Amino acid sequence: MDVLDKYKKAWVNQPEDNKQLTSKEIYKLAHSSSSSLVKWIFIIGILEFIFWGVINFLVPDSFYKIYEDLNLETFLQVFTVFHYIILIAFLYLFYQNYTNISLVDNTKKLIKKILKVRKTVNYYVYYNLAIIVLVSFVINAKIFSNPEKHLDIINPDNLAMDLSQIVTISIISQIIAVIVILVLFWLFYKLIYGIFLRKLNKNYKELSKLDESN
Amino acid sequence: MQKDLEEKFLSDFEKNQNIAHKICRVYTTNQNAHNDLFQEITIQLWKNYPKFRGDSKFSTWMYRVALNTAISLYRKSTRRVKTQDISDVAYKISSTPYDDTEEAQLKALYKAIHKLNDIDKALIFLYLEDKPYKEISEALGITSVNARVKMNRAKEKLKNILNP
Repeated sequence: MDVLDKYKKAWVNQPEDNKQLTSKEIYKLAHSSSSSLVKWIFIIGILEFIFWGVINFLVPDSFYKIYEDLNLETFLQVFTVFHYIILIAFLYLFYQNYTNISLVDNTKKLIKKILKVRKTVNYYVYYNLAIIVLVSFVINAKIFSNPEKHLDIINPDNLAMDLSQIVTISIISQIIAVIVILVLFWLFYKLIYGIFLRKLNKNYKELSKLDESN
Repeated sequence: MQKDLEEKFLSDFEKNQNIAHKICRVYTTNQNAHNDLFQEITIQLWKNYPKFRGDSKFSTWMYRVALNTAISLYRKSTRRVKTQDISDVAYKISSTPYDDTEEAQLKALYKAIHKLNDIDKALIFLYLEDKPYKEISEALGITSVNARVKMNRAKEKLKNILNP
């Protein structure tokens, strides 16, 4: 007899839970508010979309003067339209992936679908970070192609320094800013993954383990 | 229509609520967490009930939704105050007479199950509930062969915990 058989017998004979709920109590529970991981992943995703959506409005108007000074206004207009089309596309994908989640699916498929919702948001964040890098690159390329002409942009306070010093300081400060931004994002995602996704990733990996080795 | 559906759900769930209680005992170790998970399972069952077409038994469908909730949707609250461990208390003794040895074995079993990972917990739970491999593999989304291999490993782990 297998050692587990006696435990299985104890399992089968285990008494019913002494807190048997009445249908009235079940009704109350069924209509209460969910605090599931999926709900949190959805809420955080929406907050991120809002964050990246409104970030343009938080940038002071003076910043846009750079585009005027560099004759990049058309670039900015075209880019803004493009940016909002991408935002809508991502929102659509995000919502579609979210509504695709079904608890009747098998566990592996379910976790995969939940992670897909999160991935959609991640790709949107990567897209935004890439755009920041791209736009900075365009502005820098424009400025440094003719630094003397754009001296007032890279040296707005009119510091008494020679051009090469100003260029060096400008580049170093930009690099530091990029590193600070990336570290902040890294910490934010470490937190999200730690709190909400560790369990899902772990369980998905556990379910995929044997399939990969076969 | 909605009222009929609701009444049918409440009656189905009331009759089968022990499935949810057992899953809560497997996946949680204190009464507060048990209640939290039970609540989430109830919410998810009700939310998904309109899609339940009745081509399988309610209990079969409930196993899947409840297990999926425990494995993929439930997040342990970090704000939880430390409460007594469920394995250490006389756990939910009902008024029906119950064999002392079996009670001890059941406590040891739950205590051992709590040491397994989420997927092994599901495998062992389905084994204890006498579910066929086909149903286990379909519920978890792995092949029948893998379900067997994983089950054997999970059982070995459980045996080692029970009889070190």
